[in-house]
Amino acid sequence: MLDDARVLEVSAPETMLAGRMLADLGADVVVIEPPAGSPGRRLAPFLGDIPGIERSLTWQALNYNKRGVTIELSSVDGKALMRDLATRFDVVIEAAGGVGRSPLDSIEFSPRTIRCTVAPFVRTGPKREYAATDFTVMAASGAPAMTGDLDRPPLFFPVPQAMMEAGADAAIATLAGLIARDRDGVGQRAGVSARIAAMMSAFGLALVPGSGNADSKRTQGAMVVAGVQVPSVYECADGFALITIGFGPVFGQMTQRLAKWAAEEGRMDRRIAETSWSSFVSDLMAGKASPQDLQVLVDGLKSLARSKSKAEIAEASRRLGLLAAPVMNMKDVADYEQYRERGLFARVSLNAGREIDAPVRFAQFSNYSIEIKRPAPKLSEHSAEIFEAELGLSKAEIQALFVAGAI
Amino acid sequence: MAAPLEGVHVLDLSWVMVGPASARYLADMGADVIKVESSKRLDPVRTLGPFKDGKFGPERSVSYHNLNAGKRCIAIDIRRPEGREIVLRLTDWADVVLESFTPGVLETLHLGYADLRNRNDRIIMASTSLLGQTGPYAKGTSGVGTMGAAMSGATYQIGWPDREPTGPWGPWTDAVTPRFIVASILAALHRRSRTGEGCYLDVAQAEAGIQFMMPAYYEYAANGTIPERRGIAGSPIQAPQGVYPCRGEDRWIAIDGSHPAHWDALRGLIGGELREAKFDTIIGRLRNRAALDETIVSWTHEQEVGAIEHRLQAAGVPSHVVSRGGDLARDADLLEAGHLHKINDPVFGDADIEGPRFSLSRTGLHPTRRGPRIGEHTTEVLAAVLGMSQAEIAQLDNSGVLV
Repeated sequence: MLDDARVLEVSAPETMLAGRMLADLGADVVVIEPPAGSPGRRLAPFLGDIPGIERSLTWQALNYNKRGVTIELSSVDGKALMRDLATRFDVVIEAAGGVGRSPLDSIEFSPRTIRCTVAPFVRTGPKREYAATDFTVMAASGAPAMTGDLDRPPLFFPVPQAMMEAGADAAIATLAGLIARDRDGVGQRAGVSARIAAMMSAFGLALVPGSGNADSKRTQGAMVVAGVQVPSVYECADGFALITIGFGPVFGQMTQRLAKWAAEEGRMDRRIAETSWSSFVSDLMAGKASPQDLQVLVDGLKSLARSKSKAEIAEASRRLGLLAAPVMNMKDVADYEQYRERGLFARVSLNAGREIDAPVRFAQFSNYSIEIKRPAPKLSEHSAEIFEAELGLSKAEIQALFVAGAI
Repeated sequence: MAAPLEGVHVLDLSWVMVGPASARYLADMGADVIKVESSKRLDPVRTLGPFKDGKFGPERSVSYHNLNAGKRCIAIDIRRPEGREIVLRLTDWADVVLESFTPGVLETLHLGYADLRNRNDRIIMASTSLLGQTGPYAKGTSGVGTMGAAMSGATYQIGWPDREPTGPWGPWTDAVTPRFIVASILAALHRRSRTGEGCYLDVAQAEAGIQFMMPAYYEYAANGTIPERRGIAGSPIQAPQGVYPCRGEDRWIAIDGSHPAHWDALRGLIGGELREAKFDTIIGRLRNRAALDETIVSWTHEQEVGAIEHRLQAAGVPSHVVSRGGDLARDADLLEAGHLHKINDPVFGDADIEGPRFSLSRTGLHPTRRGPRIGEHTTEVLAAVLGMSQAEIAQLDNSGVLV
């Protein structure tokens, strides 16, 4: 779909998903790394738990479908290469700190170029000079403060997330610039703050005080309703299952069906299944329902979950329409017949002849298909090819650039 | 200068979060978005908080405004033939249609992609659901973002090893999925501007979540290791990196001093026991991590969290308050960027909602406005977009279609 779009991605953790999404959607994406390799190549985990410039699995996962060159952007020769290369491309994506902190700032790009810059915080704002890493940007998003149990410290994702959130929004910002250019031929700067991108996963947390409400507390491990601890995740026969007890007109119906199932399985008094869960909260306030009923429901669900496998709970959730799902680990994800048969996966090669099935098709289209066109580039894999084809450099000139340390 | 999607028409048949948040991106980019709702089938997000001043009410959900800012809203019963006809006529007008019904439902209403394409072969239609439209478990399966998180491998990996997993906060895949929908729609719009081709696209929310977990998936697929929940924040091979308690209840500072230059800066600032030789090298810091963290805690725990952030940043150490809602609402970075916008709603008055998630230097984006009330623009849309007369509209109203 983007087969006429050409993208230069100055590689950083925050640009990787952006470039890959555009490449997946058909763009010709060339990733630019310093001669020592992109910082993304030093992100864990590593193939066979052995580190190496060609062994980062994070790099592999976020750079397939791209070609790769090396350019030392701090050198005069490197800057000149970058400037010339940019005239042949539509888009430049980079990550940088505050204004004036990018090695590209001294390059004059064509007015047609769409230049997207990802920064940790707003590039003109009071935190523009903040030292930041993925971890501290996530702390600033608001989500970790709400994640986990209140009696213990906040929890973070085990996989860096700010780079994912920012990368995805950078893809969108770039495409917005491209569509504007489709109309009038003129490019522009697009800016993404990784912190604001990551706030998407904090939902409306920032809006709570401004709407006259008390600050939210971390209660996710077990919500307390009328003094009863209501868990979100239950131990089941072969792992864990998410089971949500909801109230109100829509979600209460699902609780009704859940309670009925537990009663039918002999895990709970039938009377609890007949309690009106849609109106439970208002009944509680009116003194027409007892917190004890909720406790019996929770205990019944604990007993029910322990007697069922993840697959059985998934099946019941589909059949009965419940707010319940298996808590899948990555093996479950890899094996799940729904993902397999639907065509989520495609074969991708890693390093040293290793191949895996990767979940590449984030969207399925009536008249387009996301495919693996090439694995993630090895360091400088396409330098000679691209400098020759795009810039008409001779073999001797390319060697000269290498000897001078510019590539 | 016109925002990128100025003049692009979007028909938003979706509800709750994923579809509405996707359409909000498009509205921010200047698209004219018409949301179809019904008071007989309220968008459930109207029952989710925060509510203005904590008072429940379908027109008081601030989350609703945040997800539907800048859209128009018509209230119709699409199960009635006249309501269905309105959707079809809006399809003639639309460039993009978004929907998030349980897979199979729109087809039974004869409003599936085949029906809409018959009306408008340039239409770009996006469907989103928990597991997608195809595959053995697709049809009839509905779900929410907590289920998406559970089925994407995220929930399993977030929690304390001695307790059940807690999972990410909130309906996590509802935040992730819109990005893949919006990028796909924009790519389809770009192609259409060259070829005239429309497109149908289908995004499964659980699958979208896997995208943000790709490194963990690769760890299993390539190394055969199932990533487990670790609890404690911070990488097991980077130190110091973690959250440290500060003065007050549930106040934490996130510090990442794992890069050598950042470590030097942190050591210079805190001094004392951090200067011990056992912390000189990364291997030393990892082997003595408990002592390292204890020393940092002894420095942080009596200090105010915001003051610590300033001291650490002045020394060049990556750090930030583990922000709570109140911190975000007062955050200088967000206020300066104008990310939090005051809206004025005729029903409840003032509240903050978020602005767009990115900026464009030349064309800009659409100014942030409040979300619509249920059916606020029904008459306006039927008259101005569909060219209906007041008599026709009154007839529809009398026959109970406009509810």
